[in-house]
Amino acid sequence: MQHGYWIRSKPVYHSLSWQHRAQAHVLVANGEAGRSIVRLLHQRLPDQPITVLYHPTQEADYSKSLVSLAGENLHVFKRESELWHRFEQILQQSVMGTRLYAAGNEYFLWQATTLAASHGVLSGDVMREQASSLARSVYCVHCKTISHRVTTNIAICTGCQRHLLVRDHFSRRLGAYMGLMIDAEEPGNVPEAEEVYP
Amino acid sequence: MSALKVIVSAIEQVADGICHFTFAAADGGELPGFSGGSHVVVSMPAHNRTYRNAYSLLSSPADRRNYQIAVRLQEQSRGGSRFMHEQVKVGSRLDISWPVNLFPISRVGHKHILVAGGIGITPFMSQVHELLRTGADFELHYAFRSPQYAGFIDQLQQLLGKNLICHDQSQRQVLDLQALLSQQPLGTHVYVCGPAGMVDALLSTAYELGWPDAHVHHEEFLAPPIGEPFTLRLKQSGKSVEVGAEVSMLEAMEAAGVDAPYLCRGGACGRCELEVLATDGVIEHHDHYLSDAEKGSGKKIMPCVSRAKCSFIELNL
Amino acid sequence: MNNLAYKRETFRDDYTYRNSPAAIRRFPFPFAEDHYMYSVNIEQHQPGAPGSIVEHAFDIDEHYVSECKDKLLTLAQDKGRYAALPHMMDAQWDFLELTMESLARDYPQLFTLTKDVDHWTWRNRPLEIEDSFIFGDASTLPLEPFDYMGRQVQGDFVLLDQREGTLFADAGFITSQADWSLAFDIGMSWHEWHGPVPQVEKMGIMDRALKFLMSLQQGSPVRRLNWTMTINPRLDTSPEHFPEWGPDKLTVTPQNAGEKAHLRVELQSMFRLPRSNAILFSIRCYLISLEELATYPRWAKRFHRVLKDLHPDLLEYKGIKVYHEAVLAWLSQHDDGAEIAAGTHPG
Repeated sequence: MQHGYWIRSKPVYHSLSWQHRAQAHVLVANGEAGRSIVRLLHQRLPDQPITVLYHPTQEADYSKSLVSLAGENLHVFKRESELWHRFEQILQQSVMGTRLYAAGNEYFLWQATTLAASHGVLSGDVMREQASSLARSVYCVHCKTISHRVTTNIAICTGCQRHLLVRDHFSRRLGAYMGLMIDAEEPGNVPEAEEVYP
Repeated sequence: MSALKVIVSAIEQVADGICHFTFAAADGGELPGFSGGSHVVVSMPAHNRTYRNAYSLLSSPADRRNYQIAVRLQEQSRGGSRFMHEQVKVGSRLDISWPVNLFPISRVGHKHILVAGGIGITPFMSQVHELLRTGADFELHYAFRSPQYAGFIDQLQQLLGKNLICHDQSQRQVLDLQALLSQQPLGTHVYVCGPAGMVDALLSTAYELGWPDAHVHHEEFLAPPIGEPFTLRLKQSGKSVEVGAEVSMLEAMEAAGVDAPYLCRGGACGRCELEVLATDGVIEHHDHYLSDAEKGSGKKIMPCVSRAKCSFIELNL
Repeated sequence: MNNLAYKRETFRDDYTYRNSPAAIRRFPFPFAEDHYMYSVNIEQHQPGAPGSIVEHAFDIDEHYVSECKDKLLTLAQDKGRYAALPHMMDAQWDFLELTMESLARDYPQLFTLTKDVDHWTWRNRPLEIEDSFIFGDASTLPLEPFDYMGRQVQGDFVLLDQREGTLFADAGFITSQADWSLAFDIGMSWHEWHGPVPQVEKMGIMDRALKFLMSLQQGSPVRRLNWTMTINPRLDTSPEHFPEWGPDKLTVTPQNAGEKAHLRVELQSMFRLPRSNAILFSIRCYLISLEELATYPRWAKRFHRVLKDLHPDLLEYKGIKVYHEAVLAWLSQHDDGAEIAAGTHPG
């Protein structure tokens, strides 16, 4: 909570579950969130074709578990950009009724959503589960740089080096929280940062 | 509320029981622009009451000189469609509302499938003009009993060419919704207007195929908030006001010279809130202002949009 | 106000902005009572009293030329203050049509619009602009239609697309905002956009306002007043430039508050647009220093009482907290405690 009031732009995430009324299912995940896909694949599977796109990271690699569950429906990518390229191809070929699922850190979830939106998919059509870290991507309102993996309430902007207060105001389009210079009124007066988004 | 004054400039019978009315601004100027899918509410002053019906605008939104509507003579007409067919002549003057759109084309959609059944074609007439103008990817599926019931068919063929797909039931051409909705690219929106059975079939087919709700649109015609007549008793002034079936409590009070507060006249601002002291019936709340608990208490009413099903209601005014 | 003497003044650096006695008199003082509560307070935006700020759909006043100049300075520093998503082109033309038609009708000595079917010619005398273009063909204008006219009307503008049961802020021209960022907020739904508004959510006011706006009709625009405070007469109090104006907040003392602290009132008006079915949200900012406000003693008294018991959340949200004491100290000299009748009128 910030200044004692709740900010409604902060998204609420849920655990993924199969949408059984569908024509096809496309899942995208990275790193730690591979675990969410493993969990989903243990549930009763839908009748329609399933495609899983996964990008393992240094922190976590669930490829082995996923391959044993998803077999040839699983596509593992060394680079995240390759995953997005394949996702884009799938979006181009998909029909209405294709259900989209994303699991990953928050920035990943909104990258998937934004890419899907460029194909006319509405934000509400994509199911999202925030897995692993609560770390935030922070948009510097002053220099417009997005700094990633911020775990503290005050962070240094990787673009302009200002100390930013990480607000709860979230932009889905940018996949990031607003960062506002904390010592603008009194330069140099920067409170100690606390790790609040582990 | 501000009304547009129009004059009927043409009347044409376009299909069995369907008349086509053309309106021009009474002052000879331009009519307001509108978006595809809009309707107007036409006020029809019969001798002892005023009917208000909503009709889709058929004309091209680019045409600011005329509005066109189609009126089908309803078998069980409350009086509105009969009035239009029998009383309205070329040269008649009418009041209509400003255009309202409850059936717009999604501007973020990548493809649009329009599905019309019979007279349900009307809201699509202005939409196809808009879609043609913006160069959007779309197709119109038009299902009708037989060609004599297919209003505007020639005009549509001319405008749309192969983007018009007809389903003539007299030729056993059935609209296969399953086939239609299972092959659409991501980002498609579907719009349906027609008989209830057709609308329901489309909504359930889309649902079963996994179409998200926000991609499926159907025309919901705005019924004027009418009810039954009742008597309004005003405690402080001791006045008694009759509220007719088609006037709001606020309008009835104003007509009776009562100075009642108001601001938005749309059930939102809360300014016209009045205290209910007694009633022998139930309050019909239509406003967005009162909480459910307040509505349930029966102690408050927003007379700009709400009314009561009763013989009398007493207010602290 | 057809024969305006435009003031040459600045909204930054040396801050030479001042209100004439006539401008003070017509200032939209928003407090009818001694206690302020957030409310929707929507009313019909019908033409008001001659000379008042609501006489016309868009108010053009003595600050017009300088304010438009300030817009250009802000845009030159940060082009992200104007943005329009691609599906908003119809709404852009709607905005151009509404503003050109309104200004030409309401201020015929200042603005002229001539139409030959789709061939339009626009003449803006105060800004010395004249352009001919084809309505609907953006390539015939020097800028996108919304950008073009956004520079020629005082205030900020947001175009809201209505879909999926809500409104999306899909285009904006924002150079005098009270601390919100267009570049960050563009594309947001109604509730995301208003996310940071405190307290209000609990009362469901934003839900009601949304429902009301979604049923807003063409030909029946509405308006409301909102307010905050600004130190120095600065239009561009954007988060982007917070490092420039933030420090000013700490310079307020009981001695200089009368000159430095300004009441900032927004006339928000909302119009349903014809072709796009979008809603225009227009936010016109009026600034008045406490000294100017105190020209009318009842305004200074009332403002003192409003600020004295303002909810702490609102003090925080409006950014007043750091100079609250100084402003109260200055205003208290003008408050004898005598009762004032309800109403916002000056005298």
